[in-house]
Amino acid sequence: MLNIKNLHVAVNGKEILKGLDLDVGPGELHALMGPNGSGKSTLGYALAGRDGYEITDGSVAFEGQDLAELEPEERAAAGLFLAFQYPVEIPGVNNAYFLRAALNAQRKARGEEEVDSMTFLKTVRESIKTLKMDEALLKRAVNEGFSGGEKKRNEIVQMAVLQPKLAVLDETDSGLDIDALKLVAEGINGLRDGKRSFIVITHYQRLLDYLTPDRVHVLSDGRIVESGGQELSHRLEAEGYAFLEESAA
Amino acid sequence: MSALIDSLATEARLPADDHAEVRRRAHKALLKHGFPDLKTEAWKYTSLRVLEKRAFSDQRPGLSSLPELPFAATVLHFDNGILDATDLNLPAGVSLQPQTDEKLAAVDHGDRAGAFGWLNLARFEQAWQLRIEGQQEQPLVLAISTAEDFHGDVHPRLAIELAAGATAQIIEVHEDRGEGLVNIVQDIALERGANLHHLVSRHSAQSAWIQRSEAKVARDADYRFHALDRGGRLTRHDLAVTLTESGAQAEIDGTVLVNDRQHVDFHTAIEHEVGHTNSRESFRILADGSGVGVFNGRIHIHRGADDSHSDLNTANLLLSESARINAKPELEIYAEEVTASHGATIGQLDDQALFYLRTRGIPADQASALLKQGFAAAPFENIESESIRNWLIGELGQLL
Ligand SMILES: Nc1ncnc2c1ncn2[C@@H]1O[C@H](COP(=O)(O)OP(=O)(O)OP(=O)(O)O)[C@@H](O)[C@H]1O
Ligand SMILES: [Mg+2]
Repeated sequence: MLNIKNLHVAVNGKEILKGLDLDVGPGELHALMGPNGSGKSTLGYALAGRDGYEITDGSVAFEGQDLAELEPEERAAAGLFLAFQYPVEIPGVNNAYFLRAALNAQRKARGEEEVDSMTFLKTVRESIKTLKMDEALLKRAVNEGFSGGEKKRNEIVQMAVLQPKLAVLDETDSGLDIDALKLVAEGINGLRDGKRSFIVITHYQRLLDYLTPDRVHVLSDGRIVESGGQELSHRLEAEGYAFLEESAA
Repeated sequence: MSALIDSLATEARLPADDHAEVRRRAHKALLKHGFPDLKTEAWKYTSLRVLEKRAFSDQRPGLSSLPELPFAATVLHFDNGILDATDLNLPAGVSLQPQTDEKLAAVDHGDRAGAFGWLNLARFEQAWQLRIEGQQEQPLVLAISTAEDFHGDVHPRLAIELAAGATAQIIEVHEDRGEGLVNIVQDIALERGANLHHLVSRHSAQSAWIQRSEAKVARDADYRFHALDRGGRLTRHDLAVTLTESGAQAEIDGTVLVNDRQHVDFHTAIEHEVGHTNSRESFRILADGSGVGVFNGRIHIHRGADDSHSDLNTANLLLSESARINAKPELEIYAEEVTASHGATIGQLDDQALFYLRTRGIPADQASALLKQGFAAAPFENIESESIRNWLIGELGQLL
């Protein structure tokens, strides 16, 4: 699904990712952890194709396709989704309208037929219900004035509607209350179908308890310095990142 | 500035009718003050050069087309600026009459900055008085349109009076296809407790479109104004609202779109003459191409107008390097126990928001159109009538 080799990414001329390797197979869920500033969000942005995130070395292949050659919208249509750590407020753009425009733009790019508004509303309503969100949020401007938790849940609603092949979820659990965390986890698990893959960026074990990741990676200073199974995240929870420095030394 | 006097305001061009006295007085005032130039403070961003180069023809142009509107309305068509008042089917409570000379003789358009007002008074074809009583459910549409072969100058003059307690919606739809001068003067009065929603949707081609709307708002009356200006070669709108008695209130919302070589200048003024009066204003300009957008929003809270409140906000989007925006709030406060907040920003499309939309699969062009549309539509979100709101927002969508 996703093959990252020796990825170097510079932001504003400053190298942030310094030789990152990561392979995510179909149906797998990988957890990505690591201290603040280690480059987790940078990886997400680089995958999504944000301006100014320059790949200076290495490669990223998504289903065999070189991501660097695609515009952000082409990556989305190819099946890549990024749930933002800080979802962006878009004043004046109606949430439901935006979601439908996004879905139809992707479908059009893939040569599929557009969905009519009835079918669309049905799909959205289901996701909204799963996440126990207020339907009124659909009529509001995208993320504008949403609470922190509402924004995060709105990202998962978008994921559920857009049905990506690979979703990168950047700290979607941060700022969620305990019930919401569970709902988001259910939202993610509901989309696990043996083919769809996930990279879940998180600082906490709590979300991973619900998700049971296939692999856990630790990113530090732009590189993956440790990979393992679930025991790794438990160890991080107990000991923090200190042991990494010891093993690096 | 005599070029404009020569082309527009020679004595020979004063219509010979029974308003001679009124016209002569206006003509004298115009000659005395002259037309504004870039040294005239209120006109410093808007040059009349385009106008100076034109010759105005008296030839009657072809019939201009009526706009199609997606809501039921009583339509007054000002064909090439002139209303044909025969066979008007006005609803009960609405009447239209010529203005009296007594009223016209009392008009004061001030100095040079009001030159076009004087020109209108000297040259108007008809001066109408529209009086509205009771609750008018259906909007009244003033459709002012020009045909492609319109090369003349036309000076519509209209007084609008709302009787005490009356409610009405007046929607002006201005569609220009010509290359002349349309010079409108409106004199609006809201008697006690009246409620007027005044909307202007304008799109001008090559004509200079100059409009002066003055509204006086009495006790507990409510004046609401919405403008959607979709650009023009030279458009200038002066809107002056005076809150004359306590409980009077004004709300102004507007969006201006300019592109190519368009130039639109909005000057608004809200006068809080007495205490316990409220106003709110929000104005947006989106300037693309080599377009120029000007907004000057003046709030004047007079001495003794205590316990008055006003809020003025202008947010603007500069969409190209050669576009220009001059947006300025101007507050003068001489009263006590007053709140007056104001803000002005000029920015560009938000990169983060663009990126966010694109990561959802929306192509760059469509994403920026969505953002512009969202930004431009904000001042119309508070329009209660869904059909009118959607109509205005739809007009926006065609351009962005
Ligand atoms: N535009 C930028 N210019 C310069 N440095 C930047 C820029 N954007 C990010 N960085 C730096 O890159 C590093 C990695 O940031 P990133 O947001 O990827 O960290 P993170 O691992 O997601 O951290 P967190 O856990 O706090 O979310 C940080 O040191 C950050 O300051
Ligand atoms: Mg981060």
